[in-house]
Amino acid sequence: MATTLDRRTFLKVAGGGVAAAALFPRIGRAQATPVRIGFTLSATGPYSVGAGITQGPNYHLWVEQVNAKGGLLVRGQGRRPVQLIHHDDRSEIETAVRLYEKLITEDKVDLLLPPWGTAMNFAVAPVANKHGYPLIGPTVGSMKLYELNLPYFYAVLAQPDSMMRALAEFLKDLRSQARINKVAVIHVADLFGLEHQAALMPLLREAGFDVVEAKSYPLGVKDLSDLLKSIKAKGAEVFIALSYPPDTILATTQAKAVDFNPAVFYGAVGTAFPFFRDRFKASAEGVFGIGAWNPKVPYPGAKEYFDAHVRKWQKEPDRWASAFTYATLQILEQAVGQVSLDRARIKSYLDATEFSTVVGPIRFTRGLNRATPGMVGQWQKGEFEVVWPRDRATARPIFPKPAWQ
Amino acid sequence: MNVALLLDVAAGGLLMGGLYALIAVGLNLQYGLMRVLNVAHGEFLMIGGYLTYMLHVHLGVNPLVSILVSGPVVFAGGMGIHALLFRGLLRLKRTQEELEANSLLISFGLLFILQNAALLLWSADIKGYQYLDRPLHVLGAVFPTNRVVAFGVAAMVTALLFVFLKGTLAGTTVRALMQDPVGARLMGVKVPRVHGLCFGLGVGLAAVTGSLVSMLFELTPFIGLPYTITALVVVILGGLGSVTGSLLGGLILGVLESLGVHFTAPDLRMVISYGVLALILVLRPYGLFNPLAPRPGQASQA
Repeated sequence: MATTLDRRTFLKVAGGGVAAAALFPRIGRAQATPVRIGFTLSATGPYSVGAGITQGPNYHLWVEQVNAKGGLLVRGQGRRPVQLIHHDDRSEIETAVRLYEKLITEDKVDLLLPPWGTAMNFAVAPVANKHGYPLIGPTVGSMKLYELNLPYFYAVLAQPDSMMRALAEFLKDLRSQARINKVAVIHVADLFGLEHQAALMPLLREAGFDVVEAKSYPLGVKDLSDLLKSIKAKGAEVFIALSYPPDTILATTQAKAVDFNPAVFYGAVGTAFPFFRDRFKASAEGVFGIGAWNPKVPYPGAKEYFDAHVRKWQKEPDRWASAFTYATLQILEQAVGQVSLDRARIKSYLDATEFSTVVGPIRFTRGLNRATPGMVGQWQKGEFEVVWPRDRATARPIFPKPAWQ
Repeated sequence: MNVALLLDVAAGGLLMGGLYALIAVGLNLQYGLMRVLNVAHGEFLMIGGYLTYMLHVHLGVNPLVSILVSGPVVFAGGMGIHALLFRGLLRLKRTQEELEANSLLISFGLLFILQNAALLLWSADIKGYQYLDRPLHVLGAVFPTNRVVAFGVAAMVTALLFVFLKGTLAGTTVRALMQDPVGARLMGVKVPRVHGLCFGLGVGLAAVTGSLVSMLFELTPFIGLPYTITALVVVILGGLGSVTGSLLGGLILGVLESLGVHFTAPDLRMVISYGVLALILVLRPYGLFNPLAPRPGQASQA
């Protein structure tokens, strides 16, 4: 009995010593000063839906992955743990601007991650630029931002010009299969909607489509049924909503409820959310959406990213900008590993490098990623398939759209 | 000009107006009777909506049946909140203005507490479910089935409220207090108790409206305030303290909004709403249907 106890004690002490020895270097590493990364995301207000689905989960997933590897590899300093400093900007642009000023001047963070949404990035980008912080925006679609000429700002999504050109080309292609001519376009009166509408309208006219309705509605709109009724009465065969998540859901719900089932039903931000598919179930079938990504794309890490997201959050990433958000973090991680935390040198590295990411190759030309074309996606049997352009497609489009279920 | 489409749009507005009326009647019971301006009124609508959502999605309860839960639960909660926050205020008030100002501040606090509690409980994600969302064809026009049903329920609940106000003793005391607070008090009406009842009824009606709204629109913790504003416009349109006024006011506002949006753009919905409010304040500051409004030549007593 006593010997057993002795042996146990011995084992405990010996085991403890081995464990301590093994832990020691780790403790040393954990004590390295963390790399502090700051950002704001909308936890409340109309932007919170997109922020909470597309950006937040990916930021936290990436930090967890990086810290599990022992930290972010900083050139010349080894691995340092990542610490996030983040705030709720309440979907208020001025609050976001104030918070980013604070992150830079008071918190003196090492790096910044962008907020969610075009208008937010538009407001925050000049602040980051002024202080020389590179900002790689995953949820920005704005040519005006590009015209501001901010050398430290980068955008990974296809911008309104190429995104809307892809849509117009796609519609022209569909027109060669069946008669579609009357187009209705509605857009959210927010920078995102305004810019995409401005890019799309000339292309539609150029292509000879008959635009029967073009109206805007406010952010946070409660009811679109009257508008949808008059669009239906005008016989629109193509319906395009340059919308944000809550209104994408609203327009779809109400189109279904007033029995408006055009041959092409296209929604913007939010269409690619798994929430959309789960909400509308069989009725989601055949709905087109802006941009597209799914785990079937042939890029390294795509499937792994999808699985990791599902493991951590028990929900799938959205089928457009989620993967692009993750790609911006891959880019940042690679840059810091190659050139350290010197922000001016990170910028030069971003300008000069082609990155391999979960959304395919990304290369910035004066801050814009021109390696990713504008794309059109479509819900088909529970997956958001890339249907345009053809060289990126993961499935053939279903056209015309089946009836609402 | 497409007359059929116009009628269609107007009828759609009327259906929404039914919901406006219901929530406005609730607000009117509070503001018209006690001068308690409850800016958290819409938050009770939001809570009613979430209760229905939870019952339907997790327990499979029919959204219409869930009204039998959401209404009474929020009614009881409202009575409790009134006892906790507003009863003392009513006792201590020196002037009507002081009461209005203080109740406004308290309910503002309540608004933030309820909104953030909802945020903690249900997160900011949009929540919704599909219920009767098939089109209903009536005389060549198309209406969402759930809207027609919601309108029908709103009409029924309002009818019940009228029966309560006209046919029961408690209802009679409520009407008495509305017409003449001093006289009612002299007749032995227990004012604090009636106030509590009215507050509970008001927020209970908001919760019922919320249950109906959850059938039509997605829920977020922030849907409440716009409805409070709409309710306020309707109350002023119909006249303070006039239940019939709120009813008709709600229907009128619904139709005006729909037609206005049809001829302009959805951007202008709020402008139309506020435009109606401004016009009423200029032309008939006592509202369209206020029986207590001073007649021409009569000195103002308000």
